[in-house]
Amino acid sequence: MNLFRSEEHAGLWLEQNGYQPGATIGAQKLGELAQAWWSDRLAPDWRPHTREQNQAILDRLALTGSFWQLP
Amino acid sequence: MDEHDLWIRNHVYRRFVELGRAPTFAELNDELGDDAEPALRRLHDAHALVLEADRPEIRMANPFSAVPTPYRVEADGRSWYANCAWDAFGIPAALHVDGHVSSSCPYCGTAIEIDVADGSPIPAEYVFHVVVPAAHWWDDIAFT
Repeated sequence: MNLFRSEEHAGLWLEQNGYQPGATIGAQKLGELAQAWWSDRLAPDWRPHTREQNQAILDRLALTGSFWQLP
Repeated sequence: MDEHDLWIRNHVYRRFVELGRAPTFAELNDELGDDAEPALRRLHDAHALVLEADRPEIRMANPFSAVPTPYRVEADGRSWYANCAWDAFGIPAALHVDGHVSSSCPYCGTAIEIDVADGSPIPAEYVFHVVVPAAHWWDDIAFT
């Protein structure tokens, strides 16, 4: 899970390393995803997210389709 | 993972934040006693933190990384390594403060410097790529 200067550079890096393309999102959406996923991580009453809670976070951010389906 | 395990998990995270690095197993054993190792192993198995493969040392207390990575995060007057770009944004989110992420483009090596203010990146021009589908993130959490 890396940050790239541009989508073009992400594509070139994938090609250079022989990886199949996965999913690319903008940094703004990554910020929203991080807020939703991690903001409770240091809460004293933290409990593990259920699969359904995590999938709902992805769905809410329109990260849908088979690539974003949690096991 | 029972309430006692969660208490130990919270202790690990609290110490990680305080120290700016992972607490060592020796430190945790001193602070928590002989309960530490079996609890850490249960927490690892439940994906509540990640231990090194060959010893009960903390490798990840996501979003924090115990080992140096390409993602350095400054927040709240301290700094940590994050496990990946997602986790780099996750450190300010977890601390509920603004932060700064330093990295570089894996393709061209150009420095990437991003302020995170109220959860938003400045500038927002960079892109984030995930190679591994979500169903397989925990197959090898060090490569996603």
